[in-house]
Amino acid sequence: MTILLEAKNLSKHYSLARGETLRAVSDVSLAVHRGEALALVGESGCGKSTLGRTLIGLGAPSSGEVFFDGERISGLSDRALRRWRPRMQMVFQDSSSTFNPRRTIGDTLAEPMRIHGRAGIAERIRMLLEQVGLSSSVLSRYPHEFSGGQRQRLNIARALMLGPDLLVADEPTSALDVSVQAQIVNLLRDLRNSLGVACVFISHDLAVVRQMADRIAVMYLGRIVEEGDVLAVLEAPAHPYTRALLNAVPRPDRPLPPPLKGDVPSPIHPPQGCAFHTRCPLAQPRCSQERPELRPVGEGRTVACHYPLL
Amino acid sequence: MEAEVLLKLHHLHLELSNGTALLEDVSLNVRRGDALGVVGESGSGKSLTAMSVMGLLPGLRASGSIRFEGRELLGLKDREWRRLRGAGMAMIFQDPMTAFLPVRSIGAQIDEQIRLHERVSRREARARTVALLGRMGVPDPEAAAKRYPHQLSGGLRQRAMIAMALSCGPALLIADEPTTALDVTVQAQILTLLCEIRDSGAGVMLITHDMGVVAQTCTHVAVVYSGLVVEQGPVAAVMARPLHPYTQALLEAIPPLDGPRPDALPTIPGRPSAPDARPEGCVFAPRCRFVRPDCAVRPALREVEEGRRVACVLYDA
Repeated sequence: MTILLEAKNLSKHYSLARGETLRAVSDVSLAVHRGEALALVGESGCGKSTLGRTLIGLGAPSSGEVFFDGERISGLSDRALRRWRPRMQMVFQDSSSTFNPRRTIGDTLAEPMRIHGRAGIAERIRMLLEQVGLSSSVLSRYPHEFSGGQRQRLNIARALMLGPDLLVADEPTSALDVSVQAQIVNLLRDLRNSLGVACVFISHDLAVVRQMADRIAVMYLGRIVEEGDVLAVLEAPAHPYTRALLNAVPRPDRPLPPPLKGDVPSPIHPPQGCAFHTRCPLAQPRCSQERPELRPVGEGRTVACHYPLL
Repeated sequence: MEAEVLLKLHHLHLELSNGTALLEDVSLNVRRGDALGVVGESGSGKSLTAMSVMGLLPGLRASGSIRFEGRELLGLKDREWRRLRGAGMAMIFQDPMTAFLPVRSIGAQIDEQIRLHERVSRREARARTVALLGRMGVPDPEAAAKRYPHQLSGGLRQRAMIAMALSCGPALLIADEPTTALDVTVQAQILTLLCEIRDSGAGVMLITHDMGVVAQTCTHVAVVYSGLVVEQGPVAAVMARPLHPYTQALLEAIPPLDGPRPDALPTIPGRPSAPDARPEGCVFAPRCRFVRPDCAVRPALREVEEGRRVACVLYDA
C-alpha cells in the first residue's frame, strides 16, 4: 500500500492573552495509506479535531509538515492549496449547520463542481444520490425538510462530489440516534469499499470506531499515546488511558466499572512528564518526571508509556 | 408494595391544544431506592414524560393521573407546584451551562434554593452548600462555591447541578440526559454518583437514549416509542432477553466492542411517525420485521411475565 497522507512532527499551538500558549496538537506523526481508514479518538479537548483540520490544510500548522500523495502541502498559500482541495474533503458532525438553509439541496450539491469548473454535474449528482440511498426528488427541497440521518447522507454526498482520495469525517454519527447511527456507519463502510476512498474518522465513540476503521490513534492532551490496528488495540490496549476509555463505554452487557478520577488537565498547563500521570491508576514516580516517547509494542503498534500493559 | 411507590403515572395522556396526542396511556412506577430508566430515541416523548412529572408543561392538555407520594399532581396550583419542586422532587438537565445563571456564583444559586424552601440563615445555607458540593465529589468545595459556572469543567458543573437538585433533600431525582454532553470517563463518574444517590434511598428517574447507560445505572427500564411505552421491566431481564421487537432492534444497533466485526450493523428501516400521523394499530408496525395483519389493532401493554410488560401481538397467549 502506498502512503496517501503523511504528517511529520505536526504541532498546532495557539497564542493566548498574557503570553500563554494552548498546545492543541504536539509533535504528531502519522500516515494514512490509500483506501485506509484511520480513527482519531480521545476526549473533548484532546486535539483530535484540530489535528484533522490541520491535516487537510484548514489552518496552517505551527510546526511540522504534511505530505499528500508525496508532495508537501503544509506551508502552501490558500491559492496553491486550492489545487489539492478536491482530493481531500470534509464531513462535519452537525449536518443542520453545514447546509445553507436558503439554498436547495441541488444547488448545494452542485457547488463544489461549479467552483472547480467540472462538467457533467447533473449526472454526478444523480449517481451519488443513488450511492447514499436517496432519490433525485430531494434536489428541489431545502435542508430543513430532511431528518438528521438524511441530511448526514446529503452531507456525505456533497463531500464525495469531487471524487476525493481522502475524506476527513469529524464525529459523523454522534448527533444521530442509535438506529440512524447504524445506517450511517454501514453507509460509510459501503462507500469506502466501493470507492476505495481513504478516511480519517474523528470520534469519541470506540464502538463506532471499531466498526468503521482499520487503524486507531488514541490522543490525550494533543499527543498520540497509542496507535495500531483497531481490533488489536481494542482487544488488548497497551496504554492505561486506552484501557480506561474502553472501560468507560457504557454497555448493556457489563456493569459500571470504577471510573477514572478527575478531569482532563488544561492543555494550557499540561502536566510534566507523561500527561496522563495525574489520572493514571498505574502511575510511578518516573511518570511525573520523564515523558514517554512513542515506541513499538508488537506488530504495527506503538505506545507512549513507561509501563505499558503489553 | 403500594406504600413504597414514590411516583405513579397512570394512563397519562398528553396532547396539544389541537388534539394531537404526544403521550398516550403512559403508566410507570418509581419506588424508593429504585432507578427507572426511560429510554427512547429523539422525539419519543421521554423528556415530555419527565417534564410532566415536574409540572413544566404549560399549554398542553393532560389527563390520567400523576401521583407523587400518594398525592395527585395533575391540577395542582402554581403555588403548590413551587413548594413541591426542589423539596419533593428535583430535576437535572443535559446542559448545566444553561441551567445555571451565568452571572452568579454556583454557591449563591444553591444557597438561594435552600433559603427559598427553608428558614435558615445565609451562613447556615452556605455551610450546607459546601457540605453538599463536597459530598458530590467537588474538590475544594468552599472555593468551588465561589466560582461562576463558566469557571468549572463540564463534569464539575454537572456535579454542582446535582448538588443543587439535592439541596432540599428531594425524594425523587429526575435526570434528563445528565451525561450526554460529557466525555465517557466523566460520564462514568456522574453515573457512579447517581447510583450512590439511588442507593441512599431516593427514587431516580433517568431519561436517556443510551441503553448502556440504563443497563449500568438503573434497576428498571421503560422503553418509549412514539409517545407510548412499548416495554418495561427489571433492567437485567430486559437486557438479557428483550421482548419487544423495537427493544431488540435498539440493542442490536449498538456496534459490538469485542468479538467478530459484522460487515453491516442491523438497522431499523424508516423512522418514527410524527405524532399527528401515528398509525392506528401498533406504532412500531411500519418498521417492524415481524409485522403481521393483527398489528393493525393497537396492542395493549400487558404483563407477560412477573414484573415484565410488553405491548406486542407476538406475546398474545
